[in-house]
Amino acid sequence: MKSLPPAEAELLRVLAARIVPETAGLDAAGIGRFLAIVDGALMDREPAVRRAFATFLRVLRRAPVLRYGRRFEKLPSERQDAFLAWLEDCPVGLLRAGFWGLKAMVFMGYYGQPETNALIGYAPASDGGGGPRA
Amino acid sequence: MPERDADIVIIGSGAGGGAVASVLAPLVARGLRIVVLEWGAKLREEEYTGREVEMASRLYFDSGGTFTKDRSLTLAYGRAYGGSTVVYTGTSLTVPEQVIGRWAVPGLGFADVHARSLKYAAENNVHLLPEEDINDNNRLFLAGCRALGYHVEQFPLNLKGCRGSSLCNLGCPNRAKQGSHRVQLPRAEAAGVEVVTNCRVRRIGERLCEAVVANPGYGEPSAWEPGEYRVRAKVIVVCAGGAVNSPALLLRSGFGDRLPVLGRYLSLHPALILVGEHEQPISNFNGHPKSYYCDEFWERERFLLETCFYFPFVTAKNLIGFGAEHSELMRAFPRLQMILVLALDPALPDNRVRLDRSGEPVVDYTLTPQVLDSLHASMVASAKVFFAAGARRVHAPAGSRFFIDAADADRVAELIPRENVKPGKISITSAHLMGGCRMGRDATDSVTDSWGRVHGVPWLFVADSSLFPQCSEVNPYLTVMALADRVAEGITTRIGELLA
Repeated sequence: MKSLPPAEAELLRVLAARIVPETAGLDAAGIGRFLAIVDGALMDREPAVRRAFATFLRVLRRAPVLRYGRRFEKLPSERQDAFLAWLEDCPVGLLRAGFWGLKAMVFMGYYGQPETNALIGYAPASDGGGGPRA
Repeated sequence: MPERDADIVIIGSGAGGGAVASVLAPLVARGLRIVVLEWGAKLREEEYTGREVEMASRLYFDSGGTFTKDRSLTLAYGRAYGGSTVVYTGTSLTVPEQVIGRWAVPGLGFADVHARSLKYAAENNVHLLPEEDINDNNRLFLAGCRALGYHVEQFPLNLKGCRGSSLCNLGCPNRAKQGSHRVQLPRAEAAGVEVVTNCRVRRIGERLCEAVVANPGYGEPSAWEPGEYRVRAKVIVVCAGGAVNSPALLLRSGFGDRLPVLGRYLSLHPALILVGEHEQPISNFNGHPKSYYCDEFWERERFLLETCFYFPFVTAKNLIGFGAEHSELMRAFPRLQMILVLALDPALPDNRVRLDRSGEPVVDYTLTPQVLDSLHASMVASAKVFFAAGARRVHAPAGSRFFIDAADADRVAELIPRENVKPGKISITSAHLMGGCRMGRDATDSVTDSWGRVHGVPWLFVADSSLFPQCSEVNPYLTVMALADRVAEGITTRIGELLA
């Protein structure tokens, strides 16, 4: 990825598997599309936004040490989820917003792929498909 | 640096710029040169692919996800030939009389705005969809609201030949939506107005615009070669870049010193996208996405409920939570009913557009406790509508559980606690950006007069949603066109004086 250092890019994949479990089952092409979408979105933003995102990932990696004594990627999945759930609801607005931004990136990388649309039953058609009635 | 001359320069080609260009176009026959400078691209017809990420990146600033300064909201506003009219759903409401009364702009009356709105409703083929063209997502909303005794109205829409792709917010692939890019701009160009796309205006000087043309790699190439330009406006400049970019451009150009209100009183109609899940598939991504709105809570709780339907990524990011439950709800996509909430936010001086160190706009906006109250009340009301429409379960972003089951339908107020409405956690968006160059009496309370003329600068006008002194309390596009029409008429009436 052009937008993130390798360590943060790797952490992003670990986080993606907790946020959208289906990303763990993506094949190489799917992972490639996921990373390309996220990379493209970050590269379109101001450099300060990219730096803030990378900084947030570094904080997210190290913060669990205070509570669990281990970095995020070394935690069992249940604790990873518990930590992320805490982050989503935590008292610090900027951390909540940071986690929201992370989720948005992961959702964009996965659900933004036309290839995953069919997996959730989304099949848009420019001619309106089957019409306005199911 | 190449120089170009024009008599009238219009910056921006959306609802405001398009209307101004259309009304002023007859002046070309009288020998005036009119140029529209548009930041965005003009897509080729085959480039309207309906692919979510691709279209968002081509048609919106920041792909439709510009953060406010405190990162509690994201803003979606268009950047294209036709501006945001390319990416809205075509809802064409006339602003209510009470709102014009609340605006209290000296010289601006409801009858005038209403008459001009009707003009654009006629131009843009605004009508109600016939009942047989309304899909389940919309019909369920109507049924739910009626079951609860809530007042519902049908949206007038600016469509011609709609095929029900439901892709309105990604740019209609069927040329059906009658936005500025289909009506006002082609008409202006046919009359001799020049529209220059991929052209960003960086600064306005004394009857002069500094602009940069850069083709983005999609859409039609700009009429001008890439590079920097000085565009001389012999008569006037009309700023119609929208509620973020118009105030930012004027601030960057140094007008903030004489206009203390510039950039202030921004309002956003903070919005939520809410979902209810039905047992059986419903038609939701086939058919027009937006047919009804509920104004039951307009005066007291200060929010509107509207039908809507969004795409997978936008839907996913508007749900709270993550992991298995989130995925489970996303897999129910063909069974999802959706409601859009618009909170009617006050215009406050501290909610404003500023500039960062590099001169780029920063939207400094704080959600008030009253707006958060409105958003909370709207979640409770929407949950009731979903259940009244037969939903098996509902996802409320402030819910104490990820799903609220139909068995708990009578406990929604308890299961959606107010304290869970936390900015930053809940996805709050805005696509109705208003204010920043508000109309008013003089420079102490506003940026322009009621004809869009900037106080103390006779050659500079504003003609977009930044003119709104407060929010429009309904979907704003027709009102933007009406005000722009008024600005253009004021220019036409005074053109002899301006040319002198």
